[in-house]
Parts: sequence; C-alpha cells; structure tokens
Amino acid sequence: MLQAFSTWLHGTTLSWAVAGGIPWIWPACETLHFMGLALLVGVVGVLDLRMLGMAKGLPLGPLQRLMPWAILGFGINMVTGFLFFAGDPFQYIHNIAFGFKLLFIGLAGVNVILFYVTGLSRTVDGVGAGHDVPPAAKLVAATSLFLWVGVMYWGRMLPFIGNAF
Amino acid sequence: MQFLLWLERSALGSWVRESSSLWAYPTILFAHTVGLGFLVGTNTAVDLRMLGFAERLPLAPMERFFSVMWLGFWVNALSGTLLLIADASTKLTNPVFYVKMAFVTLAVVNMVLIRRRVFRDPALDTAPLAGPAKVLAVTSLFFWMGAITAGRLMAYFGPVSGAPGLQNRIP
Repeated sequence: MLQAFSTWLHGTTLSWAVAGGIPWIWPACETLHFMGLALLVGVVGVLDLRMLGMAKGLPLGPLQRLMPWAILGFGINMVTGFLFFAGDPFQYIHNIAFGFKLLFIGLAGVNVILFYVTGLSRTVDGVGAGHDVPPAAKLVAATSLFLWVGVMYWGRMLPFIGNAF
Repeated sequence: MQFLLWLERSALGSWVRESSSLWAYPTILFAHTVGLGFLVGTNTAVDLRMLGFAERLPLAPMERFFSVMWLGFWVNALSGTLLLIADASTKLTNPVFYVKMAFVTLAVVNMVLIRRRVFRDPALDTAPLAGPAKVLAVTSLFFWMGAITAGRLMAYFGPVSGAPGLQNRIP
C-alpha cells in the first residue's frame, strides 16, 4: 500500500514541482525546515531545561505560553517534510533512518500526550518561580530533549545511513 | 588557492570528507545541526518574549540561557571549522559563505548587545521594554534567519562541495 501510494504521489504535479520542476522549491523548503527546527527545539528546549532545573526563576505557567511557537515550528516542518517526501517518496520509504526519524517523532508525540492526559501539565502550570517540578515532569522533560535531538540525528543521517540526498 | 587545496587534502580534511565512518562528516554535520537548534532556538525564544509574547514571563531569569546560546555557538564554530577544512577550496571560494559569516557575526554581536543593553538594565521587568530593545529582538530574528538561509543556499550556489558521489543538491 505504501508502495502504491508512493507511486501515485510520485506521479503528481506536486512531486514534479518539488523535485526540481520548479527549482527554488526544494532549497526554500530546506531553509524553512531549519527555521522550523530552531523554533521547535528552541522553545521546547527552554521549557525542558527549565523543568530540569535551569533558570528556575521562570514561572512555568507563563513560560508555557510560548508553546504555540513550538507548534508553529512543528507545523512548518510537517508541511516542508511532507513536500520532501512528495518530491521523491522512494528515497524515504526504504530508508531506515527515515523510519527511525518517524518513530522518534511519534514517541515525542506520545511523551507530550502523556504529559497532558496524566494531568502533569496542569501541575507544572502552577509551578512558580524558584520551585521544582515533580520528578515525573523532569522525566518527561529529559525524554523530550533526548527524543528531539534524536529526531535531528535521524534526519541528518537520511543521506548517510539511508540513501536520501 | 594552493593553501586551500593543501588544507582540504590534509589528513584531517580528507578524513572528514571521505571517511566512510559515521563519526566523520555525518556526525560533524549532526553536531552543527544540534548547535544551530540550540543557538538560534534559545535566541528566538528570548526574542519572542522581548517582542511581547508570554508577557507575564519575567525576562531576567532567561539570562541563564545565554550559556546555552554560547555552548551552541562554540559547538558550531568547531564543527563548522572542520566542515570548512574538508571543503576549503569550494566553500572558501563561495560568495554565499561570506554572506553567511556576515549574518552570523551580526547575529552574535546582536546577541551580546541584548545581554548588555536589555538584561543588564536595572529597570528590566519593572517597566515595559523600550523601543530599542524590541528593535534588537527583530534584528536578532532577521540575522539568524539570514544565517540559516545563506548556510543552506551554500549547497546551491558556487562550486560543489562534499565527498565524491555524495549529492547535496537536487538532481
């Protein structure tokens, strides 16, 4: 099914345009992908580091108000990432690094969902300046840092472990 | 040019560029990406706060994140130097490389100015940020976006870099 979907996608005008038909699209998407990365890793990183005890003077409630920017970064990278995939699906579907990248993104998603459904996020929201978050929240923060650095690792390894350009 | 070729053909330059080990080019490039994420990302978080987002968040404690920015900067200065040695004859003759260095320099000067002018201001967090501070936040975002754009476009303008057979441009 993935094979059939990829074959179909590869035949679309979108795929043609991204893969060089319109030459500036690919470099523009790469540039945006790095800006999205910085936005996501920066905002999430600041939040995770605070939960781990850095810059404890920051109250967590107001700090979490920066999260929409991380979500914007994630959105930019979802769209540009999908465009890369559309441009040449076959360099990704058999690429082990791509599989791991998606797995790590999925795990980061599960980590965030657990943070919300367990009520941890509400507890953390009330943690003021100078106070520690609960150990479970520290675990979520450390896991988040590990997973996002991992996502960058697998993304960078796409051409080296896998075969993508 | 003789010097650039000597540099890239040195044992170090050749190893970075042509070794099949994941610890060579791939890992150095990964370090450069993580450094970018933390350097530009933490700067962006501070810039957004300075521009008025999350306005109930005190700015003063964010000064701690300058250590993260500098760590990211030095990781990238080191990894960038290694990548430069490996492709000295192509990257140092690429005009876009100098555009990138100009943007990085401006962004780092801007970062130091934010720390000195905004974070060392005794009135920080007691009054709304003045206009010049917001200008520094906007120029910071602009310079970092310029650095990222120029960095990425180095692969598309000027001579082709990288290990033989490794594509770094669209086909």
